[in-house]
Amino acid sequence: MEDLIRTALSTVDLPGVVHADVRVVAPDRFVQLAVRNGAASALTDARSEAIGVRVRTDRAWGFATTSDLRPEPTREIARLAVRLARAAGRHARAPLRVTDELSPDGGQYHTPLRRDPFSSSFESIVDLLTSAEKGLHVSRSVRSGIATFQAWEENKWYGSSEGASFTSRIVHVGAGMTATAVRASNVQRRSAPSSHGGDFAQAGYEFVEDLDLVARAPEIGKEAVALLDAPACPTGPTTLVLGSDQLALQVHESVGHAVELDRIFGSEAGFAGTSWVAPDKVGVLRYGSDLMNVVADATEPGGLGTFGWDDEGVAAQRTPIVHRGVLVGTLSSRESAAQLGLKHSGGTARASGGDRAPLVRMTNVNLEPGDRTFEELLEGVTEGVYLDTNRSWSIDDRRLNFQFGTEFGRRIARGELGGLVRNPIYSGMTPVFWGSMDAVGNASTRHLWGLPNCGKGQPIQGARVSHGAPVARFRKIAVRGG
Amino acid sequence: MARRRPTPDGTGDPNGALRKLPSGITGDVRLISATWMTIRFANGRIHQPHLERSTQVSFRVADGRRLASATGSDASAGGLEALASTARALARIAPVEPKFPGFAAPFGRGPGRLAFSTSTASLSPEGATSIAEEILDTTASEAPGARTAGAVTLGSEVLRVVNSAGVDRTSTSSFARASVLVQRPDRDPPVSGWSEGAHWDASRLGATRLGKEAAERMAKTTPEPVEPGSYAVVLRGPAVADLVRFLAHLGFGANGEVEGWSCLAHRRGKRVAPQCVTLLDDARSRETIPQSIDYEGTWTASTPLIQNGIAGNVVTDLLTAGRLQRKLTGHAQPPEAPFGDYGPTPSHLLLEPGDATEEELVRETRRGLLVTRFHYVRVVDPGTGTITGMTRDGTYVIENGEVARPARNLRFTESVLTALAGISLLGKDRRIYSGEGAATVPAVATRAFRFTSATLF
Repeated sequence: MEDLIRTALSTVDLPGVVHADVRVVAPDRFVQLAVRNGAASALTDARSEAIGVRVRTDRAWGFATTSDLRPEPTREIARLAVRLARAAGRHARAPLRVTDELSPDGGQYHTPLRRDPFSSSFESIVDLLTSAEKGLHVSRSVRSGIATFQAWEENKWYGSSEGASFTSRIVHVGAGMTATAVRASNVQRRSAPSSHGGDFAQAGYEFVEDLDLVARAPEIGKEAVALLDAPACPTGPTTLVLGSDQLALQVHESVGHAVELDRIFGSEAGFAGTSWVAPDKVGVLRYGSDLMNVVADATEPGGLGTFGWDDEGVAAQRTPIVHRGVLVGTLSSRESAAQLGLKHSGGTARASGGDRAPLVRMTNVNLEPGDRTFEELLEGVTEGVYLDTNRSWSIDDRRLNFQFGTEFGRRIARGELGGLVRNPIYSGMTPVFWGSMDAVGNASTRHLWGLPNCGKGQPIQGARVSHGAPVARFRKIAVRGG
Repeated sequence: MARRRPTPDGTGDPNGALRKLPSGITGDVRLISATWMTIRFANGRIHQPHLERSTQVSFRVADGRRLASATGSDASAGGLEALASTARALARIAPVEPKFPGFAAPFGRGPGRLAFSTSTASLSPEGATSIAEEILDTTASEAPGARTAGAVTLGSEVLRVVNSAGVDRTSTSSFARASVLVQRPDRDPPVSGWSEGAHWDASRLGATRLGKEAAERMAKTTPEPVEPGSYAVVLRGPAVADLVRFLAHLGFGANGEVEGWSCLAHRRGKRVAPQCVTLLDDARSRETIPQSIDYEGTWTASTPLIQNGIAGNVVTDLLTAGRLQRKLTGHAQPPEAPFGDYGPTPSHLLLEPGDATEEELVRETRRGLLVTRFHYVRVVDPGTGTITGMTRDGTYVIENGEVARPARNLRFTESVLTALAGISLLGKDRRIYSGEGAATVPAVATRAFRFTSATLF
């Protein structure tokens, strides 16, 4: 692979090209095992390979990729990357600037594994999924059950014209299950440990075993059925206690994306949108209450956003984003950091594979725990709701107006959890919502959730990111039954 | 055994690879080769140009009724053999799929030569970037001082599907799409306008027209807040495309029918829209991005989904046709697609146009809102077909049958079935919108659309 990288770099060593970086990802492996209603839904072992060549002139970037890892196709796409950059630069009036970075020289990063999921017995995994899925069918009302396992292995070689190089092998793994109960147009879903495929981590197969899917399945099936008869979630402003699972997605949508510096500068305006955060507000913008502390931590063990170096060769970092409710940092690449006047990149330029150019992406964006136990969070609630596990999610293109639905809700009355409520939805405006957070759960309520499907960019890239989130309490939140 | 790399003429023989499968094991193979570019621009310059050449091979085997697949990027004979071996190992441990009918033998008639643009398939990097430049030049002249963002994507794809029952078919597609956002982030609140379109021929994208349209749709005066509530609306093409795509998933995806949670589960053959509404799925049409076969090699065909307001049946692939005991409609996705809720889904939608201009749609509406597009649309409740999303990039108040003033954006939470049932008039001009599948739709006027909250811009 090093030879291919050298081939690409020597091909683009042309007048006008001021920088080049090359990534080879081979294999980029994805194994998916799923059992749906007793049958194999999708048993797939996918291995792709790609080389991506990115070049920069003083005016523009160019990126080209091929799945054919031989020297001549590599030279061909390298030349095409240069042609693209030159053509793109025709319209650019201002020069491109990037930060100077201390680059790795032959570094290695490998996911620490106790049990490599790719060496595990797929047969025993299918058996586990089959048992879990069967356990969801506690009554005939459960019309659909699905249990899934997913694992990714990314083997990467990186080299740049600045002399940087590193290699990495990163393994992500996870599993989950969902029961769907149906009565006419009343459709209720319960998932464990989370919706959207379950929970995921940078870990070995031991992570999947610890999820205990088979033992939990009947309870999940019963909850889906019970929700069919639950009353609709009450409507009105009320106290909302958000479970760690849903709060992780809240952090993702209303903090993580909003502080991506490329969005803030308008690079994503034509697709995903921009941000309510203005570039000159870093350091002064009130994002939430004094209890709000958020970090982007690419060094946390087990996170899907944990790595040695990002896809620009910048070392993983732990960056404060919100401190005591004030925005103090952003997620950045070498270009966007230079645009803001920072000396160095935040090291969050990531690509979903060798066939995509790096973009500013989340790493592990975490809401820091507070000091309350779960019981103490409830104690302060005369009347309210406890909601968890995402069912629907939507937010505007500046990351202000959001609406989330959850699978699961329970009333809270006089500090105690009460009965189930059906189809709960809550909504709000980002700074108002975070400003209303008046209590944050301690480390015992915190979990690092893996999200394997964050979409961004054109062509679309699916990033795997994590969010550490405790349970937290919010006052006067608009809640209703859908 | 060492795996050989593919050579330009070294693609392995998938028929041969299938013949090598042991007795009792059958299979199908997909070979997809694509060359395409996406030229992204923002803040008035091209900032992310991307060119891709890729080969993907997917090998699915059925060991009796145990199914599994393996994919890779090595299409050589050795690569095919390795994929077959991996898929067979997975199939041995797969739960039995009792309704799998076996791979389909060739049946039906092909569509002949579909619309294809050689010039689109062979466009150079300089040619592709010049389309983006045409858009940037247009918006700079139509909206001086505004920022422009968007993307141009174009290229071609060859899909070949071969199976053990004798199918060996190929579909060749060319495609082009462009989107344009013109914005004034310096205004308080910021304002923006949007246009987009797609075609199988890049020369018919109309880059200049898209640039002008986006500039025209940007508010010229300060948008004013509008109270959430139920309004009659005129939905421009991009918004209609989102609605019919969600309807296609929630109402015509096969899994929802199999499992009983489709929003149309109990309404097949019944009226769900006025007489004027006819929605087809037709991957052969020149008015979509054509594709002659699906990912199982079944010929695509014109499939009525809503005929003069009456709901039709779901679409199927081999597995769901077996489970539902329905005919195969040619809507298979790749078997390695992430397990989805919806299963096979219509992806070449065509909503029949009416005869109204946009002015006539606004006049018909009298009082309500004109919506250019939606943002971040997601399912709230599949059983009722309820979805939510934001308006974006050109929302206006309609009063006395005229566009009165720009409005700040709103969140809608509404059933696609309610929106469909309320359609009172359809526009005469329709365009291809391509994203997650293609939707060829006109603008529509619908009587009741529920907005549940508002944002600050």
